[in-house]
Amino acid sequence: MPKHIVRLITLIVVFGALAAVAKWYFTVDSFYEFGHYRAASVPEIAGLEPVFMTPGYCQACHTERHAQWSANSHKSVICEVCHGAAQGHPQNGKLPIPKDTAKLCSLCHESMPGRPRTQPQIAVAQHSGGQQCIVCHNAHAPKLAGVVAPVAGDAVAGGKKHAAACASCHGEKGISPNDSWPNLAGQSAIYLARILAAYKSGDQKDVVMTPIAQPLSSVDVQNLAAFYGSLSCAAPPSQMRVGDAAAGKAVAANCTACHGETGVGSNPAWPMLAGQKPAYLVNVLKAFRAGLRKDPMMASVTRGLSDTDIANLAAYYAGQSCKEKPQGRKAP
Amino acid sequence: MKETEISPALAARRRFLSKLGRAVTYAGAVVGAGALGTAQKTAAKSESGASGGSFPTKDYDWTKHRWGYGVDATKCIGCLRCVDACKRENDVPGTAHHFRTWVERYVYLEGEDRPRIDSHHDPVNIEASGSQREYRFANRYKDAKVDKAFFVPKLCNHCTHPACVQVCPTGATYRTKDGVVLIDHKYCIGCAYCVQACPYGARFFNYEKQVSDKCTWCYHRITRGLQPACVEVCPVGARIFGDLDDKQSPISQFVRNNRVRVLKPETGNAPNVYYVGLDKDVI
Repeated sequence: MPKHIVRLITLIVVFGALAAVAKWYFTVDSFYEFGHYRAASVPEIAGLEPVFMTPGYCQACHTERHAQWSANSHKSVICEVCHGAAQGHPQNGKLPIPKDTAKLCSLCHESMPGRPRTQPQIAVAQHSGGQQCIVCHNAHAPKLAGVVAPVAGDAVAGGKKHAAACASCHGEKGISPNDSWPNLAGQSAIYLARILAAYKSGDQKDVVMTPIAQPLSSVDVQNLAAFYGSLSCAAPPSQMRVGDAAAGKAVAANCTACHGETGVGSNPAWPMLAGQKPAYLVNVLKAFRAGLRKDPMMASVTRGLSDTDIANLAAYYAGQSCKEKPQGRKAP
Repeated sequence: MKETEISPALAARRRFLSKLGRAVTYAGAVVGAGALGTAQKTAAKSESGASGGSFPTKDYDWTKHRWGYGVDATKCIGCLRCVDACKRENDVPGTAHHFRTWVERYVYLEGEDRPRIDSHHDPVNIEASGSQREYRFANRYKDAKVDKAFFVPKLCNHCTHPACVQVCPTGATYRTKDGVVLIDHKYCIGCAYCVQACPYGARFFNYEKQVSDKCTWCYHRITRGLQPACVEVCPVGARIFGDLDDKQSPISQFVRNNRVRVLKPETGNAPNVYYVGLDKDVI
């Protein structure tokens, strides 16, 4: 074989050998273990730390909140959707409590073409008038109590029961003779039925009301609510002066979404406040603030009120006329 | 010819060639040793593969699962919590234009033949959310006459025959034994051939890491027994995930109890994301 051919072949062999060595040297051990890729990269990817920790992680400390949330209609929305991913919490600090709930809630609940009919949707502007959602709704238990239970009682039967059991304190016509007991005449029947049922079941307690409400039957509760709802709310104005009604009006701006501007709300689930007894309003607001009367919504809105605020609020609502019923309010 | 008569150039060539000869000898020895080493290494590898030790983690064996994903488009409300969660879970760049999963909105207006399609990165939707780091569908068709509208969540289909894997020049992307297509970010050279090859537009170029990036079905979560982040946060159950080999898993029931279809079956990629509620114009 000619010399130059031998040299050429030698060079090719040398190059091939070098290439083979280089490949052997530079290919990591795990590369062909399972295929044309680096097997070691699989455990690397599998070893990344999860950022979303799931509700079970939150439950360990926030047991009560978790129980309330998991028993209600938002149970499909996990904690970290609203509060952010929990990796590093609590070591690295608190998770945010969303402030702008109107923006947050409307991500899912703003009425929009394309959303399935089964999704609860609202036209945000008309629904809340610019209010934050948590003014009325508890994000962990968003459905409003009582809305779904219309009152179907017999007002005449309710009137007889009233005369026998209630008239001595709440007045013959549902207008209370003193400032500490509430007027019931013209009050929302749905609200009354809910509260009476709460006294009956023990969910709400009162030294006077509990023993009276406990023996009532469910039919009695419905009848009484229907009876009071049918009465006229017209009452002589209270002579009691508890606070400054003008200052109360400013505080009451926070209450209008549910209770209306003058204490006559549009939703029968919530009580009418206009013309109510001022001392009663003061007592109830303080009971909410102290947690003696349990309502997650009222607890959060009364938390920041001072005694003066409460007195002013009571004075404002006591001075309003109960007759301005807004449109759309269903007669009980 | 006497040595003394050799020209300096020829002498240099001879010296080079004699050195080369020695180099060839040594290289041959090295290759021999190398071949021996490779053989030993291969034997060791096949041993480790055959030993049946749990891989890729000590609590998870990838030969015992075959993952699949379902999307019920009739349930999707377009809240985009999945997009948000995916970004946080997987450290995806914080812009509206890089994402591993997304949701498309199809709106058929009265008198129009073709749907109007947008997603969270549409300028109108970015304006509605107020930031590229927050995601929201603007209520832009509120006052329009809408014939039909719906949302379609999308993500990597983790195909059985993935085109993206076929085109990768470095072996940086591959399909695992449990049916997940992954990217080895250490081996990816950022050529973005795979981004071009994917018929679903599921891959993107991660400018922060200078590599291709895409959905992993949250491989770090599913190997721990958790759900992918997008499935975990979906408030309406529009996203379903599970093991296709387990007949009682959510995905097996979803595929069994619904008439499902996949996107672009004609490309031959054999996707593993099963859809319910697609329309003729969704591809």
